[in-house]
Amino acid sequence: MSKEPGKTLLKMKVNGKAVEVMVNPTWTLLRVLREELRLTGTKKGCEQGDCGVCTVIMDGRTVNACLVLALQTESKEIETIEGLGTADQLHPLQKSFIKHGAVQCGFCTPGMLLSAKALLEKNADPTLEEIKRGISGNLCRCTGFVKIIKAIQNVHR
Amino acid sequence: MQRFQFYNPRSVEDALNFLAEKGERSKIIAGGTDLIPGLRLEEIRPDFVLNIPEINPFRGIKEMDHSFWIGPTTTFTEMVESNLLSRSFPALVQSAASVGGPQIRNRGTIGGNIANASPAADVLPALLAHGGELELQSKRNGKRIIPLAEAILSPYKTCFRSDEILTGIILKKLELGTRSAFEKLGRRKAMARARMNLTLLLRLNHREEVSELRIVPGAVMPVAKRMDRTERMLLGKKPEPLLIEAASKTLAEEMVEVTGARWSTEYKIPVLKNIFKRMMKQLLIV
Amino acid sequence: MKKRGIGIGCMYYGMGYGFSRPDVSAAEVEICEDGSIIVRSGEVDYGQGSDTIFCQMVAEELGIRYDTIQLITADTFATPNAGPTSASRLTYVTGNAMVKASRAIKKTLQSVAEEILGERDLLFLDEEIFSESHPERRISFRQLAKEGHLRGLPMVETAWHDITTKDVNPETGQGDAYSTYAYAAQLAEVAVDTETGEVEVLRIVAAADVGKAINPSNVEGQIEGGVAMGLGYALTEEIKEEGGYLKTRNLGEYMIPTSMDVPPIDPHIVEVPVSSGPYGAKGVGEPALIPTAPAILNAIANAIGVRVTELPANLENLHRLIREKERD
Repeated sequence: MSKEPGKTLLKMKVNGKAVEVMVNPTWTLLRVLREELRLTGTKKGCEQGDCGVCTVIMDGRTVNACLVLALQTESKEIETIEGLGTADQLHPLQKSFIKHGAVQCGFCTPGMLLSAKALLEKNADPTLEEIKRGISGNLCRCTGFVKIIKAIQNVHR
Repeated sequence: MQRFQFYNPRSVEDALNFLAEKGERSKIIAGGTDLIPGLRLEEIRPDFVLNIPEINPFRGIKEMDHSFWIGPTTTFTEMVESNLLSRSFPALVQSAASVGGPQIRNRGTIGGNIANASPAADVLPALLAHGGELELQSKRNGKRIIPLAEAILSPYKTCFRSDEILTGIILKKLELGTRSAFEKLGRRKAMARARMNLTLLLRLNHREEVSELRIVPGAVMPVAKRMDRTERMLLGKKPEPLLIEAASKTLAEEMVEVTGARWSTEYKIPVLKNIFKRMMKQLLIV
Repeated sequence: MKKRGIGIGCMYYGMGYGFSRPDVSAAEVEICEDGSIIVRSGEVDYGQGSDTIFCQMVAEELGIRYDTIQLITADTFATPNAGPTSASRLTYVTGNAMVKASRAIKKTLQSVAEEILGERDLLFLDEEIFSESHPERRISFRQLAKEGHLRGLPMVETAWHDITTKDVNPETGQGDAYSTYAYAAQLAEVAVDTETGEVEVLRIVAAADVGKAINPSNVEGQIEGGVAMGLGYALTEEIKEEGGYLKTRNLGEYMIPTSMDVPPIDPHIVEVPVSSGPYGAKGVGEPALIPTAPAILNAIANAIGVRVTELPANLENLHRLIREKERD
């Protein structure tokens, strides 16, 4: 890759694929995902960690992509909503969200799904309280969370 | 965001060398949950950002003979998941669990919470109550250890020198029989800045008298501190309800002496008293 | 000490703008040669699910599959005006326009089918059109669409629906205020911490009369979301301003409820159809959130005997009222 002034080469893994991208030190992971890699499923919301719509999974744990500098993700594995399922082959959580009517405007949905996935990977059978706590960093203005919680509770049923 | 250069040091030495040269124009980034919003709003404009989460010696929780050592880039989630900490410092772990939401806890670090020195920091008061000490290191002066209680000078300002890094947090083991409690009061149950929090540490002797008491309210004063006068009132005495009632008054007075009367004082006085009494009661039932 | 209480909130709500303010909406339904459908309307779905129910309505009228419909909305270049997404009016006003446009085009299709099948008692069902008395006489919707185009018939229809009311008598307030009204009632159970002013909402039961639930799961979602908004309105949400500058500029300061703050919600759909609504529907939207704050405040009053008259009932505000009561 050609050298660009002020930019640094960043190598990381996104959805299982090795990625190399020239980044400016001031860029966040969110900016690189959306604007350089064109993975716009990760949403841009408050940009200060208050809403959770930019949630991605980094090395197995959820983070707000707006609160990680791109260069901090060197050698890390990032999972975005694009890696969760495809239109033909939805992830069980995606199927469950549809089945339970857990999507209204959809803006919180990608982040919500990734928080749910990270939760279930650590805890396959969470209690109601654990689910509520697990998605407590993801605000939703439409649903009142009721159907989202149901979708997570019943993902394997 | 104003332009800066990003430096990813490979070792503690590398980081110390970097700071020795460029410390005054640098900001250290760990989890970045406080720093990045500050950079975005251009409240801080460093020329260099030094990234420390990848420095392995800065991570983890170790048990020593008489103390525990916590690496500065240990995240709140790692603290909550640590059996070692949960067993030895339950109130501290509760305070870590009360931070923001999962994403913030996964990223935010204990060292960052200290270095940012926010008046509303969730973990700071609990660390103070546990008598935390900080291990600082620089190329020029090597290592020094200072009490956390002396480290924070004013809101968002520490005594750390520009060429220094916080390299560890030390907590002395508590004496057997020490009880602790933490409570946070926020406007909602998650993602809430503390309106107030309170950490209590209590030990009684065989005569049921208070042999140790530490009281640290958080988010009510510019800099959290132990409330010495209230602690002394109860030391060596049996914690009877009337005495606790009197102590709660002193506690509120001590707070107001620091803060003066503000719009929120009217709320904070009675509520601090109430929470103190309630938590004392809980600790005495144990 | 934690004290529990129960409270009820009730409301009625005039759907749409009322009081002779223009309240009109348009929809356009086009049948393509391959039998697929394009629906155009200026309506905006910002999460409430109007796109879904409009497709359902058109599918219901034409007896076709919901997923053969392509919906184009809110594009001034392509769509007729449907008025704003506000006043909880879309189901009721735009829904009527959808049904009207669908029925108009169905009439054309019906005449073609009558000619081809030689029968008049035709049903449009499951992508087919057939005679009720002679079910073997049938034609697929796709074929019928093609026949319509081959005959050069108008295969696009626009409908305009107007619910503008006459208004009330300005002297007496009597008369024709709104085209129809929705009703809702909610029950809240709370626990109030008298030592800190903290209110925990334990449960909300919410009933809403929507006329007819076009999509029951959507209606439940609207009720649950409305309750969560009402809860925030009652307890935490506040716009602060200082010298003309907004102080609550982000979601850390303007606090909406998180997943930990919303209690179990028990939604009940009540269906009392109105003849003026599509399939009897009145819609949902605002009626789902209006009773929540009163129900919660009534529950607080029931729990601790303190009447909240200013929102939000946050820690400081509620504790001040508790202290004032203690002083009395």
